[in-house]
Parts: sequence; structure tokens; C-alpha cells
Amino acid sequence: MEQKDLREWEKRCIQEEPPACRAGCPLGVDARGFVLAVKDDDLAGARVLLEKSMPLAGIVARMCESPCEQYCLRENLGGSIAIGSLERMCIKAVPAKKKLLRLPPRPKKVAVIGAGPSSLTVAFDLAKKGYPVSIFHLQDGPGGWLRSIPESVLSGEMLEEELLRLTTLGVTYCKVDVLDASLWTQDGFDAFYIGQDDTLMQVDALKIGVPDSFTFALDTPGLFTGGLSAEDHRYRFITDVSQGREAAVSIDRFLQGASLTAARVALRHGKTDLYTSLDDIDFEERVVASTAGYTRDEAQKEAARCIDCQCLECVKGCVYLKDYGAYPKIYARRVYNNSAIVKGNHQANGFINSCSLCGQCETICPNDFSMADLCLDARRTMVEEDRMPGSAHWFALEEMRSARTEGALVRHAPGRETSTTLFYPGCQLAGIRPQQTLRLYDYLQELDPATGLWLDCCGAPGYWAGRENEFSDILGDLEQIWLGMGEPLVLTGCSTCLKMFRDHLPMIKVESVWGVLAEQPPAGARAGVAMALSDPCTSRHDEKTQKAVRKMLDTIGQTLTPLEMSGDLTECCGFGGLMESANPVLTKKVTAARVAQTESEMLTYCAMCRDQLARTGKPVSHVLDLLFHDVAHSATEPSPTISERRKNRRRLKNDVLKNYPDDALTETLEWEELSLHIEPEISILLEERRILEDDIRKVLYQTKQQGTALIHGENGSKIASAQLGQVTFWVRYKEENSIFYIESCWSHRMTITGGVS
Amino acid sequence: MNLSFLPEDMNWTCELCQEKLQPGLVELHYVGSVFKVELPVCPTCSKVLIPEELAVGRMLEVEQLLEDK
Repeated sequence: MEQKDLREWEKRCIQEEPPACRAGCPLGVDARGFVLAVKDDDLAGARVLLEKSMPLAGIVARMCESPCEQYCLRENLGGSIAIGSLERMCIKAVPAKKKLLRLPPRPKKVAVIGAGPSSLTVAFDLAKKGYPVSIFHLQDGPGGWLRSIPESVLSGEMLEEELLRLTTLGVTYCKVDVLDASLWTQDGFDAFYIGQDDTLMQVDALKIGVPDSFTFALDTPGLFTGGLSAEDHRYRFITDVSQGREAAVSIDRFLQGASLTAARVALRHGKTDLYTSLDDIDFEERVVASTAGYTRDEAQKEAARCIDCQCLECVKGCVYLKDYGAYPKIYARRVYNNSAIVKGNHQANGFINSCSLCGQCETICPNDFSMADLCLDARRTMVEEDRMPGSAHWFALEEMRSARTEGALVRHAPGRETSTTLFYPGCQLAGIRPQQTLRLYDYLQELDPATGLWLDCCGAPGYWAGRENEFSDILGDLEQIWLGMGEPLVLTGCSTCLKMFRDHLPMIKVESVWGVLAEQPPAGARAGVAMALSDPCTSRHDEKTQKAVRKMLDTIGQTLTPLEMSGDLTECCGFGGLMESANPVLTKKVTAARVAQTESEMLTYCAMCRDQLARTGKPVSHVLDLLFHDVAHSATEPSPTISERRKNRRRLKNDVLKNYPDDALTETLEWEELSLHIEPEISILLEERRILEDDIRKVLYQTKQQGTALIHGENGSKIASAQLGQVTFWVRYKEENSIFYIESCWSHRMTITGGVS
Repeated sequence: MNLSFLPEDMNWTCELCQEKLQPGLVELHYVGSVFKVELPVCPTCSKVLIPEELAVGRMLEVEQLLEDK
């Protein structure tokens, strides 16, 4: 990923866009942060947020007419949050910081003519930047019309206090009789600001001219003006303050010889790209103050009504995105940093490899941010640069390779030399439900006797793992097999295979087997108890298959209970994208969250989903359990172990081959004949450690052949070990009457180069 | 990882050599890194025992650390 790619990714995630209240504040006050601080009764923190964006917060917080409130998303759900009232409560409750920070002094001087709100803002902002500022004010003192505000709103004492604070920034007050043109044409200053929100000499005021509405610069260089609001303007005060602020930005740029407009952001007037769902927000009335202003308690209650506008739409629906504690914009940075790092830990490897690539986020996101694309691209780079952790996808890739060799087979129907259709159950259905796979194949042959069978793996694990070369080789291989079979229609029993064929082998005509069964369900099909149908994530955009499955279930009278995340919003069971391989702990959370979405038993048409969801103990059926009652499995039946899946594929292949008298059955190898005794707790251990019974047999066979076991001096246990591929396996066992009683197994990836003297 | 990982139970004999395993230095390699650690080794054929606790504990941790380097 290049930096420009990162920028593109970041742009798509709108979570860091300002909430409407902040976008509606001409000063950009973090109103959401402020309100949430009040909610948490952190009034000191709340005041800090005000001071960060407001000039002379003691005045502004008391006087602001709160234009932000008109943009608040609470408006129609009980009324906007009373941000203005909360600000006044806070500013009264927490004293101002004693010292204002100021940048080192600068040589250029600024004259501010008039001392109304806009002028005080210009003086405040520029003085903080280090410019010496002189405010020219009339005889009654600085403040302009602020001096006539009722005491209850802004007391004279408070005004004086804030004016005094300005002097600590190096602002000097110059009392004059009239505010006229002589003041903005005098020598000794490098820039002038004319605050028209004070009483200027009318004759001269008329000659000032109209400033640029964006920069508040007048035609004469160095001359700026603002404070132009009419007296009856609804937001008179804050608009004048805002004009002062914009003028101060321009004056600073002018004094530095910079462009007044380059890279300058215009006021947003409440416009923001932040999306906030109001779906689950209840109506709640605004809290009414019992006295003139909110008490601390009332303020807290009012602040608690804040929706805390966030997007996070994708995060809300995804355990994975939630688990890593941030949102896609941050994640894109992490992924970028992970690939940019030269020395040190690649901390996002686990994150990148844990995404199920299910595509739910992209469907939900208003801007189609796809974590799948982000993570898959990163995985491909890791593979290409040879820094993909060897253990991340190892087991799943070995499964794929096994399914493509010892589990693979393609045949026309027995006695036939051509196929109009090839049934492609997919390696997971073959591994998890071999008997049902055969039963379904028999039925398809009843419907069309020229239906052949193709047992293979579509290469999805290679694709998900980012192994482009291996995946490309598999695609080439699959295409050749299909061509060799006479280019028949392929019917898949697995949504992932269907997607892989459709996306990567467009020349192959492929359909879901469930479409055929929707039209012609088997006669013996029977409905079960009411169940929630979980669409596999790889069927997300395959409405045709989703509808076919529902039609099929409707035909057989199956009642479906609602499942919120269904159809194009469906969720991954935890297997997709090799999440289970890279992050088994997270997978458990994902699967648990999915089954918790319904009280009902669950039903699915993906073998992997059945296997994965049933691991939680939830009763889960596969549609084949309804379609073929004679070979139905119980919804509560535990998922087959990794070893059983391998054996099932081999057995299925041999069962098929038995129908082809000219074909030799796959021979049983010597190591396969070793008898193992494995207690249930060891079986669980093997599953967790991803050790196959095949691995154990191979290790024991090899050790026995070579006589290289280690033997315990007292209890008679033995230890055998062998490196099989990338992994070295160890087995502790006892052997009695040619039966190996397995006591434990473990493995590691480090290689041993022998003892060193 | 220049450490000793001898198990409490050292009562293992090499079937091939009929020798009791003895503490010995062993080289372990992974993704470009080499570690010398003390493990039970057959004094004759140098066969090594990687104890279960080491494989599923510290060794796994180090493997994962190295994979993320």
C-alpha cells in the first residue's frame, strides 16, 4: 500500500468526521466531547474543551446563541441537547485558568479599532500568536454593546475580568474619543482590524467598503473588517465572534506573507459526512431547568440525552472490528504502518489475518469501505514479500491440499461417458456430511442421469490466504478438469465454491444445487421445528440462491423464525477468510455472537456454517437433514473432528470409486492401519492443537520403523517424533497388543539441528 | 533464548542407543534466527527431546514473535 492508497482508504471511513453540532459551531467547539464530559460530571474537562476553541470563554460561553443546537440529531427525538445552557452552567461552575499561553512575541503590530465581540476575538486570537495588539475603544471602556447586557447574563464584573485576562496576553487598551478613519490610517501598525460591532464614526464607516466574505479582507492591503451582523440577527454575537476569528486568521496569514485563501477550510454550517443511525434512539424530552440555569444534576441529566453521534455502523455489526477497538480509518493506518515497517514487530499481522473477508462492512458502510479488500490486499503483499507468518494459514492450506489430492475425484455417472451436469459438493460438505453428499448425488442422478461427480476444493483457502500463485494454479487446474469433462454445467453444494467459480472462472457455467432442489425437492423431504435460517456469508450478494433456499424450505413447509442479520447483511460463522485458522480465540467470540442472535434452533445450507455454529452447542441443522430424512443428522450432533473430516473425504472417494469397477480403490497405506486409542480429552487437545490422527499415525509408524522412540525409565511411556512438512510432531504413548494408547501430542515449527557439544 | 529447558523428569532413554538422555546444548532454528538451548539429548546419536511444556509455552511464544518480526 502506498501513502496515496492510504489516503484513499482513510477518506472512505467517515467516523472521524465532526458530529453535526461541531460542524454547526462557527468556532468548531467540540460540542459532543463537551456534552459527554458534562454527562460524566467532568466539568473541569468540559471547560478545557470550551477554552480550546473559544476566545475569552468566560464571555463567549455566556453569550453564545448556540447555532449548534439547530443541527443536533436529537431535535426530533425530544429536542436538541441544550448545549448553550450546559455551557453556561459549566462556565459558572469552573473558574478560568489563571494563565493563558502565548507564543513568543512577534515584531509586527496590529491595531484593532472598536472593542465589540469581533474586536475582542481578533485581539485574543492574534495576541495568543504573539502579535502585540492595541485595542482602540471609546470612553466607556472596551466591550462595546457587551456593556449593555443584563447582569444576569454577563455581569460587568465578569466582563472586566475577561478584559483583564486579555492584557495578560500583551493586549493594550487605548481610550479614544471617536473611532474614525484616522485610527486605521495611522502609522506604527502592520495590520488593522475595524470592528463594526462598535460605534464607529458614521461618515468614515460608510467609506470602509464591503470585505471579502471568506477572508474579511478589504481592498486596501492590511485592512480587515468584521462584526457586520445586524442588531436583530438571531445569532448576532456568535456571528460577530466568528467574523473576528476569520479576520484574525487572515491577518496572521497577511503578516506572514502567506495566501489568505490557500488550504483554508470554509465554515461547515452544520454540514458533515458523519453518518449516525437513529434507529435505536428513544424519544426523550429535554430536561427543564428548575431555576434560571441548570443545576449540576440537571445538566448531567440533560447531557445524558446526547446521542454521542458516531458512525461505527460496520463496527456495530462485526465482532472482529469491535474486538480490535477502533474503526476502519484507524485500521487502514495500522495496515499501512504494518507494511511500511522495516525493523521491529509487525503488530497488525494478527489483525490482517483475522478478518473473515465476509463483506458485511462494505454492505453496511455508506461509503462501501471494504475491510475484506484492505486485508486481502495486505495478505497478498505479505505473501509476496515473504513475511506472512507461517503458522497463520498453515492448517487450512494443508486441508485444501489434502482435499485436492487424497480427497479429489471427478467422474461421469457410472456407465456414462459424458455429463450434462457435474455435481460439485465442495470439500467441506464432503468432509462433514459424506453420506448426505452421496445421497444428494443419487437424487441429482435421478433428476438427470447424466450427472457426474466432482470432488475437489475450489481453492478458496489459497485465495483467502493471499497466495495468488497457488490459487491461480488451482484455477488453471480446475478449468482443465472441467474442459476434460466436456464443459458441463457445474452445480455446487457450497456457496463459497459457487462464488469462487463465478468470480474467478467465468467461463464455467455454474449454479447452486439448491436452485435445482427448489424446483424439484425430494419427495421424502420433511420440515423440522421452527428454525432461524443463517445465510452463509459467501452468499451475501447471491439473492438468487438465497431465494431458492427459502422457496425450497417453503415448499416443504419449513417455518423460519426471523434472524436480523440475514440476506445481504448476513454474518460469517467464523470460518470465512481463514479467521478460524489465524485467530481461533476470536472465532469463538464471532460464532457465539452469531448463535446468540436467535433463541430458535438454526438452519443453514453451508456445511462449514453448520460445523462452526454447532460447536457452540446450539442445535444447528443443514438443509440436507430436512431434504433426506433417511440420512438426517441430529441438530445437536457434535461437529466432526478435523481427523474425521479427512477420513470422511477419503471414505467418500472410495465409496464413489466402488461404482466404477475399472477403477482401483485408493490403497490403504501401512501407516493408516495403526490402531490408536484416543480418550475424549486427548481428542479435544488434538483439535485445539490442530494435530490429525493421520499425523500421529505417520509419526508412530516412522518412529517404529526406525526404532527411534524415547522410553521412560519407570512408567513405560514412549515418545515418538517426526518432522512432517513444516511442523515437528511429538506423541507420548503406551503400546499394548499393537494398540497405541495416546497420552499426549504436541508440535512446534522450530527446527532442531541436533545436539551441540 | 539462551536458556535451559530441562524437564523435571529426565528419566528418558534413547531406544536406538539405549543411552539415558543427558543435558546438552541444542540449536533451534526459526525464520532466520538461531537459539542455543539446553535440552535432554542422547549422548550418542544426539536425539533431542522437546518437552511438551516448552513446545506449547515458551517455544510457541517465540515462534509467534519471530513470525511478526
